[in-house]
Amino acid sequence: MIFQLEDVRVYFPYDNIYPEQYSYMLELKRALDAKGHCLLEMPTGTGKTIALLSLITSYRLSKPESPVKLIYCTRTVHEMEKTLAELKLLYSYQVQHLGAAAKILAIGLSSRKNLCVNPRVLASENRDSVDAACRKRTANWIRATAAENPNVELCDYFESYEKAASAAILPPGVYTLQDLRAFGKEKGWCPYFLARHVVQFANVIVYSYQYLLDPKVAGIISKELQRESVVVFDEAHNIDNVCIEALSVSVRRQTLEGATRNLNRIKQEIDRFKATDAGRLRAEYNRLVEGLAQRGNLPISDTWLANPALPDDILKEAVPGNIRRAEHFVHVLRRLVQYLRGRLETENVEKEGPVGFVASLNGQAGIDQKTLKFCYDRLHSLMLTLEITDTDEFLHIQTICDFATLVGTYTRGFSIIIEPFDERMPHIPDPVLQLSCHDASLAIKPVFDRFQSVVITSGTLSPIDLYPRLLNFHPVVSRSFKMSLTRDCICPMVLTRGSDQLPVSTKFDMRSDPGVVRNYGKLLVEMVSVVPDGIVCFFVSYSYMDGIIANWNETGILKEIMQHKLVFIETQDVVETTLALDNYRRACDCGRGAVFFSVARGKVAEGIDFDRHYGRLVIMFGVPFQYTLSKILLARLEYLRDTFQIKEGDFLTFDALRQAAQCVGRVIRSKADYGMMIFADKRHVLSILFFFLSTSIRFTSFTYIIFFLMWEQFLRKMAQPYDKGGNSGRRTLLSQEDLEKMGDDGMQDIMHY
Amino acid sequence: MATRPVEKRVKYKTSVKDSGTPGFLRMREEMFIFIPNDPRSTTKLKVQLQTIKGQKHTKEGSNKPPWLNLSNKQGGSYIFEFENYSDLQVCRDFVGKVLAKGEDTYEKPTITSHDEQLSAAEMELRIKLLRENSELQKLHKQFVISGVLTEAEFWATRKKLLGGESNKRSKQQVGLKSGMVSDIKPSTDGRTNRVTFNLTPEVIFQIFAEKPAVRQAFLNFVPNKMSEKDFWTKYFRAEYLHSTKNAVAAAAEAAEDEELAVFLKPDDILASEARRKIRRVDPTLDMDADLGDDYTHVADHGIFRYEIKEATEELNDLYRRTLSQDLNRHAAVVLEGRAVDIDSEDTRTVAEALARAKQVSRANVEIDGGENQERLDRISRMTEMEDLQAPRDPPLAALCIKDPRDYFDSQQANHAEAYESLKEIISLVKAKGLSNPILKSDVAFKVFNGLTHNISSAKYHLGKNPQESVLDRLPNSTKEELLHHWTSIQELLKHFWSSYPITATHLQIKVGRLKDAMSDIYPQLEALKESVQSELRHHVSLLVRPMQQALEAAFQHYDADLQRRSSKVGERPNGYYV
Repeated sequence: MIFQLEDVRVYFPYDNIYPEQYSYMLELKRALDAKGHCLLEMPTGTGKTIALLSLITSYRLSKPESPVKLIYCTRTVHEMEKTLAELKLLYSYQVQHLGAAAKILAIGLSSRKNLCVNPRVLASENRDSVDAACRKRTANWIRATAAENPNVELCDYFESYEKAASAAILPPGVYTLQDLRAFGKEKGWCPYFLARHVVQFANVIVYSYQYLLDPKVAGIISKELQRESVVVFDEAHNIDNVCIEALSVSVRRQTLEGATRNLNRIKQEIDRFKATDAGRLRAEYNRLVEGLAQRGNLPISDTWLANPALPDDILKEAVPGNIRRAEHFVHVLRRLVQYLRGRLETENVEKEGPVGFVASLNGQAGIDQKTLKFCYDRLHSLMLTLEITDTDEFLHIQTICDFATLVGTYTRGFSIIIEPFDERMPHIPDPVLQLSCHDASLAIKPVFDRFQSVVITSGTLSPIDLYPRLLNFHPVVSRSFKMSLTRDCICPMVLTRGSDQLPVSTKFDMRSDPGVVRNYGKLLVEMVSVVPDGIVCFFVSYSYMDGIIANWNETGILKEIMQHKLVFIETQDVVETTLALDNYRRACDCGRGAVFFSVARGKVAEGIDFDRHYGRLVIMFGVPFQYTLSKILLARLEYLRDTFQIKEGDFLTFDALRQAAQCVGRVIRSKADYGMMIFADKRHVLSILFFFLSTSIRFTSFTYIIFFLMWEQFLRKMAQPYDKGGNSGRRTLLSQEDLEKMGDDGMQDIMHY
Repeated sequence: MATRPVEKRVKYKTSVKDSGTPGFLRMREEMFIFIPNDPRSTTKLKVQLQTIKGQKHTKEGSNKPPWLNLSNKQGGSYIFEFENYSDLQVCRDFVGKVLAKGEDTYEKPTITSHDEQLSAAEMELRIKLLRENSELQKLHKQFVISGVLTEAEFWATRKKLLGGESNKRSKQQVGLKSGMVSDIKPSTDGRTNRVTFNLTPEVIFQIFAEKPAVRQAFLNFVPNKMSEKDFWTKYFRAEYLHSTKNAVAAAAEAAEDEELAVFLKPDDILASEARRKIRRVDPTLDMDADLGDDYTHVADHGIFRYEIKEATEELNDLYRRTLSQDLNRHAAVVLEGRAVDIDSEDTRTVAEALARAKQVSRANVEIDGGENQERLDRISRMTEMEDLQAPRDPPLAALCIKDPRDYFDSQQANHAEAYESLKEIISLVKAKGLSNPILKSDVAFKVFNGLTHNISSAKYHLGKNPQESVLDRLPNSTKEELLHHWTSIQELLKHFWSSYPITATHLQIKVGRLKDAMSDIYPQLEALKESVQSELRHHVSLLVRPMQQALEAAFQHYDADLQRRSSKVGERPNGYYV
């Protein structure tokens, strides 16, 4: 349908639109008009993504004089694929109605591991070795030597991409990662470097958060994007965590050992160069005197992860004298490693601010703050000079330098925590030194400063006033939309007592109570026998899930479950989990039915949809509170209390509930979908979830028997065909005609029903 | 079909009590010979198989020795005691085949002469059925040979007879059990530390399917390196080590015993399979790709998660296998289903077949490029929001009807009729509600009366003996004739009515043939009625009347249909033209 939204002609690829989608677009448009940031909350299952994409692309079409670029950030690669699939749908609709005028270039961007088509490079196991294998074939100096020595292996794809030079362009269209690979293969061009190159020209870029938020990555990928861009963070309810993770580093014994090995290797290389090509080292010295600014001119294939710290001015200063010479720098690093090793020897938990840490480092190892700040870039420069390509071997020393740079750059919002052992296993010494960031606004600040509009949106952003405080920005629009329901297609319930009338909970003191475990098992056994197709269960942690599964296996509950449905489990092995998910979907598709056991803060909960028959029921066993004994969490809570006056308890509850709401929210994709949610925990905080789900659904907390009656009734009711438009009561679906009929007054009605 | 001679070691017994003479039994197509081991013994036998009338044998599982008793036409018998039941079975089958051959002098040529292509097995089955059932044989002779029915038509109404047997041949593959292999709990004898595992072919199949490394190890080790028993002992030893969750002990044992290590190490075949599969996984759930894109968590970056440390920081990670992994693997195998259809008890055959099946599927995967497209289509289908869009037209396959008139005319009539009666019933129910006796009482009464009347009259005529039926009082020849007519009429009517509605010309021809055959029988029935003695004539006519009525109804329908069809030739009410 095509409709007029104030002065924008919106192309929406469906015949109908939800009223909340319409008002969402309206708010978004106003934010774009105001060239400001906005915060929009709309429950899952209302088609946020398509509303967002269609408004922003239509906005661009309506205002050709100042075309905006869309930078769409997703949390994960699979969400990126989903977004691109929706964009494809929209694109073909727009092209169909507008012809060539609607043509845009949209690409998904990812790492070498996901884009490379060179089979030899792909043979490498993990991301870092793929990166290294690529560098080994594409680094500047390697290519220079290959010109003389035909035995040096190069990458054909990269070579032909280089040869094509500026002729290497992507025709307009929407490219998923798979499409990019296919295009690259067909043309013989390297898809990764091609994508990196077209980032500057593409109208829509879809990539993951870190390409903007993590300075290491953003520094090389996103540094030249124009100001006239709309940045969207989708599913942004966890954005504060992403931000603090991007600026956190930890150092362990293994890191230090690895770093020492790296330093030895660097020393050897320096000696070798001194003997053969001393000129190179001298040239580097001269370059460093002038500062690090020239790093921006490196050939595309030589870039490495960038500086972990944010300020730009670091590049313009000259590198301090004491680390300009390669061997001096290695000495400084050795002293740093030595100092850190000493700190790890502690027997008590220590907590320190960056200022205190730098002072004691200066006192004991003689390394001052400015030197620390330059460590990372100095290392990078040295490795380029030494022509080191197997960068995956040098991750440890890189970690140390990242740590040094961060600790030398920031004076607030961080703390250094040294723990001699894990709380839960005090007999095993496993010291770790963590530099953890507490202030989410640090990492996202450059994004807010640089881009015209930043849209933060998710299904759960409540309480919506918390996010501007956490991220320290001022949205021009901050709205929360309710979902209008044609029918009560979600049925949330709280189970407080098990079949034997004993309370159930994952509270720490009750967690291992066999009665609770058994009650949870009984609940699941009964549910698998009545619920069709897929069931998803979320547990509070991996260890709790493993324990409960082992227990169910011993007591025969698992066997009973398997009589009805196949069982798939999320493990910490990503490959295995992915395959398990794939199999789970196939089991649901073929009618066999399956149960998926997952973890509330795990990878699956973070973005895999269990919509339609893939999830007719979600059971949330317990409340997914964070591990409250974690020193990092405590430090962060303290920081939040002191800086933002947010109470610890409030933040923990907020955090647990946004996780829980995300887990159960994954069952609904549209209003035609339906599903049931069970929260099995006696703690009544969950009734607040009513607020989180932003629906008009009542929460029900019933006794055990009524529970199953309710469920059967619900299933029977939902499986019937229904009046999709909701013509009988509230309007939940608008057609083109409806939109045209409604003037501005009508719109007001919709917005405030 | 040349039958190879069979030779078995047996004991010949002249009577059941006789301890028997040990020797050889050699069976040929025409005769069997018994040669005693002791050449001096006089109990030599040489019997023509034609003289043998039947055979009896002891059942396996009864605690009798395997005996075969061949009785000859003179009433004598030969008893042989075999060494085991399989020998007995071989000889029993042999004799059975030869005996059967003597009988089938008639069927073979007739069956081979018909038009459709039949497998040898199916043919044999039909011959067998005919042989077993003389009535069927008679009917077959009467109608098929005379050309009233074709072979296919004749058997089409007896699919059940054929199907019951053919089901066994193309049996549906049984899926795998949901239960885990690890559910087989060892049994202990309670006194020592010994445990016993019961391995069935099913369990072995499952182990091989879920653990390709074990399968490969079996192919490599057995029987050259170790016996099958040793192999499984070792396997369960490894399983036990896993179950103790003591990775250190597992590592220590694996270091000492390289064969044991195979079971303890992670499965390489599985790992490579997983790597292959992950490339083809739906991108909207590919979390591996996500990991490959995550630079925030490059070594030691990001917030250190407590959860993750536990599992990854084990030195003996190599020897750690979790229940979750087992469960996932098990569910995947169950979902895949039984890739191979083998019923073998032999472990090696099973292992080889599985290995082959895997290779084949891998080859298929490599060839198959269309799947990618299909995956993309699926994603785009899934992205659409279903309720915002009017449903797409469901894909329609055009219906191909040769002569629509045939189809619609008869169908319409039927529909209208059925609809009318349904409407009537519904309106009745609406008016009166559902009364418990669904039948109208007066109708029920009438039927009941009629039935009791018949019973009482029959009783009156038949005298005191309730066992005796009317048929028994008829002369034997009449009785048989009557019964035969009854079955043949039934057969014909069955075919006749099943041909309606006539939608194709071949049905029209068939109905014509059937009608002719029925009109042949009709006068025969009349003749039969005339032929019996007067005092029995009434009974016979009572018996014949329903047959005649049935035939008359058929004739009537035939004529009416013919008339209707000829009158409608010009009209073509549906607007279809051939």
